[in-house]
Amino acid sequence: MTLFHFGNCFALAYFPYFITYKCSGLSEYNAFWRCVQAGATYLFVQLCKMLFLATFFPTWEGGAGVYDFVGEFMKATVDLADLLGLHLVMSRNAGKGEYKIMVAAMGWATAELVMSRCLPLWVGARGIEFDWKYIQMSFDSNISLAHYITMAAAVWMFTRYDLPKSFRLPVTVLVALCVYKAFLMELFVHVFLLGSWTVLLVKAVLTGAISLASLFLFVNLVHSS
Amino acid sequence: MFEEASEVFDNMFKSSFPLTFIVFIPAVLILVSPLPAEAAHEFTVYRMQQYDLQGQPYGTRNSILNTEARTMEADVLSRRCVLMRLADFSFDKYQKALRQSAGAVVIMLPKNMSAMPQDVLQQFMELEPDMLTTETIVPVYFAIEDDELLSIYTQTLTSSSSQGSLSAAEVLLHTATANGFQMVTSGAQSKAMGDWAITSLEGRLTGVGGEDLPTIVLVAHYDSFGVAPWLSYGADSNASGVSMLLELARLFSKLYTYKRTHAAYNLLFFVSGGGKFNYQGTKRWLEDNLDHTDASLLQDNVAFVMCLDTVGNGDSLHLHVSKPPKEGTPQSSLLKELEMVISSQYPEVKFSMVHKKINLADDMLAWEHERFGIRRLPAFTLSHLPSHRSVQRSSIMDVRSVSFSRHGAGEPPSGPHVDVKRLGRNTKVVAEALARVIYNLTEKGAPGDLQIFTEQMQVQEEQLSAVVEWLTAQPRAAQLVDKDSSVVSTLEYHLGRHLKDVKRHYVKADKRDPEFVFYDQLKQTMNAYRVKPAIFDLLLAVCIATYLGLMYLAIQNFGVLYGIVRRLTQPKAKAH
Repeated sequence: MTLFHFGNCFALAYFPYFITYKCSGLSEYNAFWRCVQAGATYLFVQLCKMLFLATFFPTWEGGAGVYDFVGEFMKATVDLADLLGLHLVMSRNAGKGEYKIMVAAMGWATAELVMSRCLPLWVGARGIEFDWKYIQMSFDSNISLAHYITMAAAVWMFTRYDLPKSFRLPVTVLVALCVYKAFLMELFVHVFLLGSWTVLLVKAVLTGAISLASLFLFVNLVHSS
Repeated sequence: MFEEASEVFDNMFKSSFPLTFIVFIPAVLILVSPLPAEAAHEFTVYRMQQYDLQGQPYGTRNSILNTEARTMEADVLSRRCVLMRLADFSFDKYQKALRQSAGAVVIMLPKNMSAMPQDVLQQFMELEPDMLTTETIVPVYFAIEDDELLSIYTQTLTSSSSQGSLSAAEVLLHTATANGFQMVTSGAQSKAMGDWAITSLEGRLTGVGGEDLPTIVLVAHYDSFGVAPWLSYGADSNASGVSMLLELARLFSKLYTYKRTHAAYNLLFFVSGGGKFNYQGTKRWLEDNLDHTDASLLQDNVAFVMCLDTVGNGDSLHLHVSKPPKEGTPQSSLLKELEMVISSQYPEVKFSMVHKKINLADDMLAWEHERFGIRRLPAFTLSHLPSHRSVQRSSIMDVRSVSFSRHGAGEPPSGPHVDVKRLGRNTKVVAEALARVIYNLTEKGAPGDLQIFTEQMQVQEEQLSAVVEWLTAQPRAAQLVDKDSSVVSTLEYHLGRHLKDVKRHYVKADKRDPEFVFYDQLKQTMNAYRVKPAIFDLLLAVCIATYLGLMYLAIQNFGVLYGIVRRLTQPKAKAH
């Protein structure tokens, strides 16, 4: 709507990242450059996913309004590449588990913020026309931060060699939920025809639940040995 | 973190010069790039007339707009764009908006104007000339209502009418939920169109029997007029006149092809342009034919000139003259023939002669025949309107309505329109009367109810209807019809099918003392952007600051959550 509105949205999107970076102690470890590297890996992985999707998935010609469940499911499966990317980043960083997770997640999430949200905000929020979707986009980026931290933690736990047997299943479920969360959200929206603010709420609740579960498992893993 | 960031940027600068260019130039370009904005709603608006006639300006002078929308109920109207619906329109409200120095006025017209009640249409028609003569420096637009525009109007109405009477808290709440609209037009400031040429067409049918035959001239002007040029379709005034003229051309050319019916009169047909702007086309044509050429049909022996203006409806016909015709002249015989034809064949039609002297002190001439009268040619105008002051001659409400084409579709539409049956009847009356004059039938003893135009020669209503439909399908304001326009070329083609020597005639305004000046930017696209007031931004900033503060506290004290979870899991571990 104006530059002020753009400033509002940008602050709403970016400050939690800034606060997280500061308060999680990453600044003491000179982790900025490593986060940038994680961001570069994000770009690379997204590029590969796009090429893969473009090559192997034909455009679906069907009637409008019918949701192609199977097609969308297959597309969501390609998001497994995200997990591989996160694993790659974490394996290249030496350090404690928490350090690895935070570096990978911060870099990944910041790259996503810059790539997929900064440009729409810049172009759209600065215009005359006002739309609530820019505020919603900024909230969504906050939720994404929590989501990526959870995903990084789940991947880290998945690849631990000392993971107890009883944890295998929950961690696998968690990883799967992380990957398919976007698909589940679209399903909800399509089936229940939710409004945009409700979608945001549901997404926040879902991410919160997954994060809590992941936190439980992480604490258990780290402090049980 | 900023130290590390600055380190990274330092490395970038020191390493290689081109790299910084690659980073900086796009950043700068993005910063200064213009904004492509998406509008809530984009619609076409038609500006009110803007022209100068004989030095006198009419209409609105401005064509740029970038203001917020309000309706009439708001308190503050200055520098705002006022939205009004046709149903609520009144001249008082219009003048009130102008007095409060509103930024612009947009009048919303319903899609189906003939469905509006008669009195609303009549009131608007009477206001059109007043609106044009009122001095308006702000742009006045007309827009056709669609659903989105209507919703914009209702939202603006609710926010405008509740402005004055709320407490501060309610106002704050209101700003968070309400939508304001910013109306912006694309387009530049209006300029005078310098070299505008008004086109007129003439064609003739030569009579048999040597030189110096008397000439009968039939004239109709094809342009239309209304408060907004793009919305003036001019069905009754004057598509009806043009279609009658074309039909008469067809019938008489058919009669003139056979030697037996080839009469001893020349018939000159003239389709004039610029008729609504004081008959500019006719004026210049007369000057060219009478002053600037040696030989012209108009100079020698003109029996009379008949102008057709608004003949498509009504159950009366009036012959408007500036001087009552003297006995024994061809005009008086036409008058008598008209009376005879009507009284014997169409008694339901009321016929009368209306005598009005030419008043040269008036701004505008009353009827087209007065132009000929000024040059001492005997002329009259045939119309179903009793007075030249009738507002339906220059109204945007004069449209060929859609619902009329369904036969037996209930009541006729309100507002002026063309009734093809009546147009056909009027055409037949004129044709019969003309034929009786040309062939001198009354002197030869033909009875009053002798009908010439029957069977193969009958007046074809489908033809009339098709011409009216075609003419009213596009706006024909004089500012919009230039010499390459399809209206002119199609008329030329139609005249060429029946008449000989079809010629074009152009009128351009004099450079130093122009009789008429037209301005452009008559149709523009208006964008309505949804905006929120500035207080909303501040409110939002406060809320976001609160949210971020909470977030900061939450992240700072994340350790507390961690401790709780750890304590919750520890007993389980210890139990193992």
